[in-house]
Amino acid sequence: MSTIGPTIDLSNCDKEPIRTPGSIQPHGFLLTLTEGLEVLQASANLSSWTGCTAEYALGRPLAELIGEEATQNVAFRLSSQLGNRPFYVDTVTTGNGLHFDVLGHRWDEVIVMEFEPVDRSYPTDFRELYPLIGDFLLKVNDTTCLESLAQLACQHVRSVTGYGRVLVYKFDADGHGHVTAEAKDDTYASYMGQHFPASDIPAQARELYALSRIRLIQDARYSPTPLLPPVNPKTGKPNDLSFAVLRSVSPVHLQYMRNMNTMASMSVSLMVKGKLWGLISCHNESAAPVAFEKRTACEQLGQILALCIESREDGQELQFRLEVRRIMLSMLAGLTQSSDFIENLSSVFPDLLRFARASGAAIVVDDRILTYGDTPESDDIQELVNWLSLHDHGDMFHSDHLSSVYPPGSKMMRNASGLLAMPISRIHKHYLLWFRPEYVHTIEWAGYPHDKLVQSAAVQSPLPVQLSPRTSFAAWRETIHGVSHPWHSGEIELALEFRTALLGIVLERAEQMASLAGELTRSNKELEAFSYSVSHDLRAPLRHIVGFADLLLESAGSEDILQRERFLKNIKEAARMGGKLVDDLLSFSQMGRASMHPSMINMNEMVAACHEKLAPECRGRHIEWDIASLPEVWADPTFLQLAIFNLMSNAVKFTSQQAIAAIRINIEDRADETVFHVADNGAGFNMEYVHKLFGVFQRLHRMEEFQGTGIGLANVRRIIERHKGRVWAVSSPGQGATFSFALPKYNSLT
Amino acid sequence: MLKPILLVEDNPNDLELALIALTRSQLANQVVVVRDGAEALDYLHRRGEYAQRPPGYPAVVLLDLKLPKVDGLEVLKQMRMTEALKALPVVMLTSSKEEQDVVRSYELGVNAYVVKPVEFTEFLRAIADLGVFWAVVNEPPPGSQRYSKPLNS
Repeated sequence: MSTIGPTIDLSNCDKEPIRTPGSIQPHGFLLTLTEGLEVLQASANLSSWTGCTAEYALGRPLAELIGEEATQNVAFRLSSQLGNRPFYVDTVTTGNGLHFDVLGHRWDEVIVMEFEPVDRSYPTDFRELYPLIGDFLLKVNDTTCLESLAQLACQHVRSVTGYGRVLVYKFDADGHGHVTAEAKDDTYASYMGQHFPASDIPAQARELYALSRIRLIQDARYSPTPLLPPVNPKTGKPNDLSFAVLRSVSPVHLQYMRNMNTMASMSVSLMVKGKLWGLISCHNESAAPVAFEKRTACEQLGQILALCIESREDGQELQFRLEVRRIMLSMLAGLTQSSDFIENLSSVFPDLLRFARASGAAIVVDDRILTYGDTPESDDIQELVNWLSLHDHGDMFHSDHLSSVYPPGSKMMRNASGLLAMPISRIHKHYLLWFRPEYVHTIEWAGYPHDKLVQSAAVQSPLPVQLSPRTSFAAWRETIHGVSHPWHSGEIELALEFRTALLGIVLERAEQMASLAGELTRSNKELEAFSYSVSHDLRAPLRHIVGFADLLLESAGSEDILQRERFLKNIKEAARMGGKLVDDLLSFSQMGRASMHPSMINMNEMVAACHEKLAPECRGRHIEWDIASLPEVWADPTFLQLAIFNLMSNAVKFTSQQAIAAIRINIEDRADETVFHVADNGAGFNMEYVHKLFGVFQRLHRMEEFQGTGIGLANVRRIIERHKGRVWAVSSPGQGATFSFALPKYNSLT
Repeated sequence: MLKPILLVEDNPNDLELALIALTRSQLANQVVVVRDGAEALDYLHRRGEYAQRPPGYPAVVLLDLKLPKVDGLEVLKQMRMTEALKALPVVMLTSSKEEQDVVRSYELGVNAYVVKPVEFTEFLRAIADLGVFWAVVNEPPPGSQRYSKPLNS
């Protein structure tokens, strides 16, 4: 998001032929050569350096200009090293006794050879520069802060070049430059902390800076010297001088330099992760050459600084993200506290603010709005959410200048200039919003940034605007309104991650709700069965009591003692049955409600206890018990004992008509469950009715055959199902029955 | 001979009370008692232990709704699916006033639905009224025999 109002880049600058200016700076001369080292083109200033005119040189062998020996030397180096970046070939002395450093590179189908005058006849010596680089490298390790590292680089570059002012210049996302470090002579004005508008360095220039890492303009008052012939004979077009160190620069830029009272400038590109991060920019008030070896040293310094920036920024980024992630994780942990999602989210409001470094946050769920911290009014938030939902912004919307995209945002600029909005449902209009307040700040521009634009507006013409470099470099303050601190890419990415986690939690909640609903349906059904049974089964014994009591009253005078005894017996039996029904109903309802407290249970002891409890019912019976050695299981002891007792008591009951009853209890130890079997040789049942077996108040036998209320097995099922296990039975009439249940070995019982 | 009344009742107390009620209504019809739904169907279809019974159908089936194994609704359903038993009068006798039971019974084509009164005198009257209405007053569907041979109980 732009931090200043109008766009100030002039597209006209972008149309300057900066790569193919057709001319060079005249502080050296340039030749283009064939592979056979014959001259194809020469800069027009050739004669002033060598006494030989460019016209004369064309088509002649290089040896005629620099001598046989030097040419052989050059040829040798060219064959072994020449690439498309200039490298130092040799230092040569021409016929007139002048010495030149020779740089060569292959580009645009020719060999480009550049000659820069030096005052020595021997090759350049890098030795004196090593200590400078070495010193910088040593200090790099001791300097943790980027600003002081950049400062250090400025000092070193300044001592290498001798330039009056060296600054490190960082580009922001919009191409505006910001001076972050500076080393200068006392007489030079300071640019420290100032901003340079993006238009100062147009996009195509920045592109070229990324390719060619260093450039020098040693005298801004130079008159460019053309190449002869003006087009590259190999391509038929003006030469691409992208990598030529003598490449002539835009006259607009020269004017800019002169306006800035800078006669010499050099800039080194700072490339971080393949992108132009910034520049080391050197200025001098008077023209000043920088020799090749010094430029090389500066370039290396720049590379080292860029590497440092990269690693520091990576480290800071990592640190930042770790911190944001830490907050996110603590938030997520807090989000599982209660079953109410909204309540959960609002309980971590303080963390929500810290997470996004926001001053206000809001949760919007349909028409319900919960806010925390400094936020706009609920109505404004609702309106904003309506707008957000209409403009599909995908997973996340963020802006540090809300009013620029959402005009009604201008009335909530104070606390919501920045907005990070996250939909938290794919279906509903549910949002999590973070607000950042307006960050009113001033930017100190190195000159009025809208200069060119103002001029172009004044022209009031649809025709291309005349390029005009800005003339003012006096500091100019601009106050920025309606803008918040920008959202960090790490914050946005982690917010997305947070959203995924949130949706996961919401989904889990939904599943839990679904399972609760299922549970509710089940318990409703049981409740129905319960009330049905109360009305049906409980009314029966009452009716019997009333009926036989009436009959008894009627027969009060009669002599039929036996009949009266039977009526009395029936009454007693009905009353007993009624009582038992009430007890069983209560126990069944408790079974569904009571909370479980599982522990490791010794099944041997439990079965033995049930066996003992059954003793009265077994009296006078011949029962052969066959009880295997049983393992331990994880279950609620009270519940499990009831289930086991029911099954064992059933077995005793349904074998009552056998002369010799056989009851066998054993275990099957399976990988994921423990299966418990109670087998008997009793009456059994028809498998046709097995679906009714475990239902509430279902009986498969007549009352007088086997007494019971039809609740025992329903209880067993309820108990086992609450342990997340399953129950079943196998039988055939007269052949006995086997009742089984399986308990899972690994589960979290609730 | 009068057609019998088929009483389907599993609970011995209910059975005794119902028999007393029917006896007091002074109906001449014989009462055949079966103890669960499966037995009732066996009786009606003349199969299983009733394979040897003489042919003919009862005047009315007094059917307890809640029975072991095959319950009253199931018996009713199976009767209505059988051509010969389709028109046979069936009275559902039950302790349940549950709407679903009433609705379901009528859906399946029950002729009457009687909730057994808790008060014994009312119970007596209800059973007596039923017997009289279905065994005596009611005109059976055409083609059904009004009389049959006596059943051995």
